[in-house]
Amino acid sequence: MTRRQLMRHAGWFGGAVVLSVAGGEVISHIADHHDQVAAAAASDPNALRFVQVSDSHIGFDGPANTDVTGSFEHALDRINSLGFRPDFVMHTGDLTHLSTPAQFDQVKQMLSTARTERVFVVPGEHDAVGDGGRAYLRTFGANTSGDGWYSFDTHGVHFLALVNTLSLEKAGHLGPEQIDFVRKDLAAVKPDTPVVVFSHIPLFAMYPQWGWSTDDALQVIAMLRRFSSVTCLNGHVHQLFTKTEGNITFHSATTTAYPLPAPGHAPAPTPQVLPARQLEDALGIRTVAYREGDQALALKEERLT
Amino acid sequence: MNVALAIRLAVVATVAESGYVHAKLYVDGYRSIPHIGPLFLLQAAVSFALAALLLFGAPPILQLAAAGTALGALGGFLLSRTVGVWGFTERGFQPHPDALLSVLSEIATLVLIATLWTYLRRRRPPSRAA
Repeated sequence: MTRRQLMRHAGWFGGAVVLSVAGGEVISHIADHHDQVAAAAASDPNALRFVQVSDSHIGFDGPANTDVTGSFEHALDRINSLGFRPDFVMHTGDLTHLSTPAQFDQVKQMLSTARTERVFVVPGEHDAVGDGGRAYLRTFGANTSGDGWYSFDTHGVHFLALVNTLSLEKAGHLGPEQIDFVRKDLAAVKPDTPVVVFSHIPLFAMYPQWGWSTDDALQVIAMLRRFSSVTCLNGHVHQLFTKTEGNITFHSATTTAYPLPAPGHAPAPTPQVLPARQLEDALGIRTVAYREGDQALALKEERLT
Repeated sequence: MNVALAIRLAVVATVAESGYVHAKLYVDGYRSIPHIGPLFLLQAAVSFALAALLLFGAPPILQLAAAGTALGALGGFLLSRTVGVWGFTERGFQPHPDALLSVLSEIATLVLIATLWTYLRRRRPPSRAA
């Protein structure tokens, strides 16, 4: 290689390095701005701010977490020390582990300690053990339709709370009656209204082999296509996961009880025993903020560490 | 427009597209994933830099860098769908449509660079040796 060729190569290489650094700075700046917008929404007292907690499994007793009550108390403490009073707290199911009346009483009493305007819940399959959800509906079914589904509006956002865990046919099923409810409910909602859908089991096919999907969700998804912004928040899978399909973004939440394996990384979705001190890293809550006029909701995950 | 210039501009487009997809995913949330976030940022920044430089010429060092970046991104994609990358796994072409767009643009980059390399080699004047 001649000296001239070496100089030329060095020039191109140097240019690539300088431009890469500059490009990285620009992308980081855009990402920081993105964070600042989310933080601004969360700190705006006029914004909608709510918390999602999930899968507290009150009554679980196993090596994956020997104190799920303590972990849920920790989650509630975190909610009460957020620095703002959330407009509501939504628990996306598996409030209890075995659906006993004592477990429902305990979780209801614990949820009442959250400093918030309202508490909403949807049931998980662990809230229907042995009785098809009757104890759940007795405890939390007031002001709901059918098997506990409902909708409400606040801060210009339309919320749907769906039940895909109480079907006698199988878990991960909405059923024609609930789908009809959604059709009628959404008929009156304008397309530019942000829509948030809560459910326990994901409405997208996260891992059907483990029951991490809802077999008739596509009918609801089709009805949601006409809205400019749709956010689906679910529990059940005990881990964070995000997926976007056009106008719809799905966010799986983590748990306050114990982690489950990543899809396909174990023979079955059984509670994972983590090394000491790592459990709280896997547990958490989610805060969500929305300011009218913003295009999308701002989500922030909070670990229980 | 000559053939080499057309291929080079096509490489600019595919490299920039791959960088854009990685930058978008980084901004949209991948930055919070340990190890994966910084790698997405690096891929995006290098891709944009290479796309900008390829506008002005396509010396072998840039062709190699573009091919290496595309191969690295494809390798990361395959690992994340099989054994995982530092525990990070994804399934199929999720997130949609970003994963598919990224893979297609990286395959296109490799095909176009191979085509450019072959084309330039054929057009090179024969050496006067022998």
